[in-house]
Amino acid sequence: MRNKLVWLVSCLLLNPLVMQYRSAVPGYHYEFPRDNFNHPDFQTEWWYYTGNLRTADGHEFGFELTFFREALTREAQKASDWSAPDAFVAHLALSDISGGKFYHRERLNRPGPGIAGVNAETGRIWNGNWQIDWKGNAQNLRAISDQFGLQLALESQKPPVIHGIDGISQKSAGAGHASHYISLTRLTANGDIDLGGKKFAVAGTAWMDHEFFTQQLGGGQVGWDWFSLQLDDHTELMLFRLRLKDGSIDPFSSGTYIDAAGQATHLAQKDFSLHPLGDTWKSDSTHAMYPIRWRVTVPSLKLIADVATPLRQQELAGNTGWSPNYWEGAIRLTGTRDTAPIAGVGYLEMTGYDRPVPLGQPLAEPLPGSSNR
Amino acid sequence: MSRLTLFYRLILRPLFREPLRTALTVLAVALGVAVVLAIDLAGNAAAGSFRSSIETLMGDSDLEVTATGGLPDAVVGTLATLPYAIRVRPRIQDFVTVVATGQTVPLIAIDLIGESADQQIITVASGEEALKYPGNLDGVWLGSSLNAKAGSTIRLLINDHVRDYTVRGVFDDSAEGGAIVVMDIAVAQNELGRTGRVDSVLLKVPDSPPLAEWQSRLSGALPAGAMVRPVGSRTSENQRMLAAFRWNLRVLSYVALLVGGFLIYNTISVSVVRRRPEIGIVRALGASRRSVLAAFLAEAACFGFAGAVLGCALGRVLATGALKLLSATVQALYVSSRPGAIELTPASLVIALLIGVGMSVIAALPPASEAARVSPMEAMSRGQREYATRVHQGRDMLIALGLAAGGIICAVPPAIAGKPLFGYLSAILLIAASALAIPAVADGLLHTSAHGLQKIIGVEGLLASRSLIGSLRRTSVLVGALSTAIAMMTSVGIMVGSFRQTVTTWMNDQLQADLYLRPAGNPASDQHPTIPNELADQLAKLPGVAGLDRFRAYEFSYEGLPATLGAADFHAVQPFRKSAFLSGRSASDVYSDLQGNDAVVVSEPFAHKHHLRRGDSITLPLGDRRVPFHIVDVSYDYASEAGYVVMDRATLLQYLPDPDPSNLAIYVAPGFDLETVRAEVQKTIAGHDILIFSNRNLRAEAIRIFDRTFVITYALEAISIVVAVMGIAGALLALVVDRRREFGLLRFLGAATSQIRKLILVEAGLIGLLANLVGFVLGLALSFILIYVINKQSFGWTIQFHWPAAILVSSLAGVFLATILAGLYPARIAIRLNPIEVVHEE
Repeated sequence: MRNKLVWLVSCLLLNPLVMQYRSAVPGYHYEFPRDNFNHPDFQTEWWYYTGNLRTADGHEFGFELTFFREALTREAQKASDWSAPDAFVAHLALSDISGGKFYHRERLNRPGPGIAGVNAETGRIWNGNWQIDWKGNAQNLRAISDQFGLQLALESQKPPVIHGIDGISQKSAGAGHASHYISLTRLTANGDIDLGGKKFAVAGTAWMDHEFFTQQLGGGQVGWDWFSLQLDDHTELMLFRLRLKDGSIDPFSSGTYIDAAGQATHLAQKDFSLHPLGDTWKSDSTHAMYPIRWRVTVPSLKLIADVATPLRQQELAGNTGWSPNYWEGAIRLTGTRDTAPIAGVGYLEMTGYDRPVPLGQPLAEPLPGSSNR
Repeated sequence: MSRLTLFYRLILRPLFREPLRTALTVLAVALGVAVVLAIDLAGNAAAGSFRSSIETLMGDSDLEVTATGGLPDAVVGTLATLPYAIRVRPRIQDFVTVVATGQTVPLIAIDLIGESADQQIITVASGEEALKYPGNLDGVWLGSSLNAKAGSTIRLLINDHVRDYTVRGVFDDSAEGGAIVVMDIAVAQNELGRTGRVDSVLLKVPDSPPLAEWQSRLSGALPAGAMVRPVGSRTSENQRMLAAFRWNLRVLSYVALLVGGFLIYNTISVSVVRRRPEIGIVRALGASRRSVLAAFLAEAACFGFAGAVLGCALGRVLATGALKLLSATVQALYVSSRPGAIELTPASLVIALLIGVGMSVIAALPPASEAARVSPMEAMSRGQREYATRVHQGRDMLIALGLAAGGIICAVPPAIAGKPLFGYLSAILLIAASALAIPAVADGLLHTSAHGLQKIIGVEGLLASRSLIGSLRRTSVLVGALSTAIAMMTSVGIMVGSFRQTVTTWMNDQLQADLYLRPAGNPASDQHPTIPNELADQLAKLPGVAGLDRFRAYEFSYEGLPATLGAADFHAVQPFRKSAFLSGRSASDVYSDLQGNDAVVVSEPFAHKHHLRRGDSITLPLGDRRVPFHIVDVSYDYASEAGYVVMDRATLLQYLPDPDPSNLAIYVAPGFDLETVRAEVQKTIAGHDILIFSNRNLRAEAIRIFDRTFVITYALEAISIVVAVMGIAGALLALVVDRRREFGLLRFLGAATSQIRKLILVEAGLIGLLANLVGFVLGLALSFILIYVINKQSFGWTIQFHWPAAILVSSLAGVFLATILAGLYPARIAIRLNPIEVVHEE
């Protein structure tokens, strides 16, 4: 679960009129391709792509491309191309693992006259010239920034996974404190990366999350750690833990196991454990200490594995002061499953390490100190 | 004898002995330099201000996309999604009036959401406040120089409505060249009634490929009417448009300097003549010709330097006033501008110094070289104390005729690179011709009038004219200086007077409607706030309204120069509206040609600038298209120097569908009372901030603006006259000192002090008369050059010649009076001379 936009929710809205929006409740009827696209009845929605790529000669990359939609108002506005019922935020990051460098960019737009949006008819989800183009089950990603760009063709190997129970992924106590959470857990990726005027032909695997909800989190949560893992036995794991103020782990933490055939199994908090192993990386810009080596245990799968990152600096320190700082980066897994060695790749997201994330409470001010200004 | 000692004995000592005359000469140079510097500084400040008002909040953008009447919103989406790493910054630019102060301030609308991550822009535009209100961006962000507090409200006039706006934030506008009001683009579209369009899109493109390649690449992705240009193009366009205006103003400022040059020439001549014995002595003692030449040139350089230093200080002071006048003119005739800061750069100071010293040295060259030619023998022999009048009248007259002929020939060739260089040359040749002709003219006139003068004025008349003939050279120089100033005054007076009369006649013809309406706010020739078309519909239906002309104007750029695109409702007003065309065809014929066709009328200045004629075709960028238009005629028009292209309203609406007019003209039906109709109109527009002008009001307003634009011209003239009159005073003073022996003798022979005074005043008066006569003739000749060559080639206006008799007579009389007054002080000095003492010297 990728809840960073929750900050934006609280930043952006003076009077969040939650009542205007629909909540994620059990019984939602999923339908594809419709549910690949926009759900304007819900306040918050995102499309989240991460992946591990390499060139034929072994140059390794990781990437993140995220599209957020945050409803600002559903009240009737004056007819103008520039009226802003939604804000669209997007993050783009490239981890040059072999080169030891990390790049990231952020943008924020209103839909405007075709500047950002989601169009189910044309299959487009875009923010400026960062876009996803759906053609049947294939998705073309294209993102261009001043320093780097990427162009990837993605093909899903498995049907969409719907996380949680009864079509909702519960995040805290109470009806509606949940999201509709869909993933494509194994996408093959082929394409090009442009970096510093050089073009790299790359291939690898990617992961897509699509989530929509209205105010899913409760109080007392200070941050989270989220894992997507693609194992080399053609299975995948999505695991997250919510950290509480007192240092304990929220019982609403959960996960999903997807077997080689694409069958998903819900994992409750008691079904797995995520433990930092003491190796940390300290950010120069936010002074946050991120645990970058973890022990992942899933007893029901007889899986014991260590997760580490090949690139320590993969922190997206907020460009603008409007996003929280977080660490999101490529990871490598090694361990055993049922005593047999197993390996894998994935992505890890960690939030709330520079300061507690005040979930659920409106912020009056933009996050201080996170700006480069 | 060292050069320094020579310089001291020959030059400095005499100067210190006559502090007043020295001061006058220095002051004359100072005024000349000051005027040149002031016009230069003020011109730079006025031109510099375009950048700030048009190109504010640009960040690091390097290209801008614009289209006539604005770009469709969709263009922004197209640009934002192009697969290039470009930064896209849409803009709406307009003006608002702060109701409390009446100040007109640029309004810049930006994409407050999209640019919130754009630190180059957002920090300037709103601090970090903008995104506190993304769901409700209503409100304004203000530059700190408007002195408002965040959270307060400010009352603004936009188009025809006044509203209170919440001040969301205040930002430091010191780098933006003055106050600006920032809004979100969505809010601005609503407030301005310009939904669906933005004025421009600023782009930051990568460093490679080169900018020109980006320009063509992006043009290819955009509609045909969209122009992609480097940022700053509009500034340079405006500066190009203003070039002729500034150039002519600068030339005018040099006239004051020229008059100063005459005076330096005179001063050095006087010095040379008076110091002939000393020159002889120093030559006999072994000083070379070159030393003497150098000494007198050094004297001139001293005058020049002292004058220039003083002139720099004075120029800085004058620049403030000049800037005020200049920006009013620029505002009324060209573009909305806010005067920038006056910047006294070392370069402009150095140039002013060089001009002052250089002009002085050049002016001193003839008398100084004459001094160098003085042989020791000649100078020391007795009886040589009179002025040597080495005046070759006949030869000079011939040269003068040759120069005048040259001047006339130079009036024929066309402009070079838009500048009437031959016109200026022609004017210079005529001035030179008159200067050379003056000795002969003065000699002839004074000789023939001497006895007449004696009869009218008495013996002092005879004495005065004889004395002036005796010192013909000095007389000629004084007459030359003053007549040049008078000629300038006369010529500019005739030109402006003719222009004024032409404009008045044109307005009487053009302005046929009874009531004119435009949104309130400060008028500027490049701002076209609008009135809702529904309101115009209501007005058209009022009883007594026979015709309603809905005029809409847009600024646009044609071949690198700004101009105004207009559309009038010719169908509605064909029976009423009148215009004069170069072809001489009737207005209704021309109007018929315009309707239903892609046809336009262009104004004379526009045709002049772009070398267009009736029957030509021009391609106009209209909205997102480029459309060829047929020019059905060229109209006389004096409203804008940038020029007009006018089409029928129905034609314009095909391409730019915004129906809101910028101006309305109401024709009252016969049999209806104007005041009754006006009251009805007033009632209908209640709640809108719209100004109503009656026909007479509008004409008065137009003439007021016209007069204001020429204030600076008059100011320049006045300074030249002051310089010249100061020169007369100085010269008469020298005259008195030189002729102490003569005055002493006269007194000794029984002349009364009143007679001496009269003698000097008559001499002053004669100089004034001669100068008036020569100046008037020269001025008349120059006015032809100004009207038919310089104006025509610079601006393209047809001006009908007209005598502004009252102004001319009164100013000539004024100058004459001033010359006589200039003789008062020297006369007092002359009276104070002790005759016994003076004669004793003999």
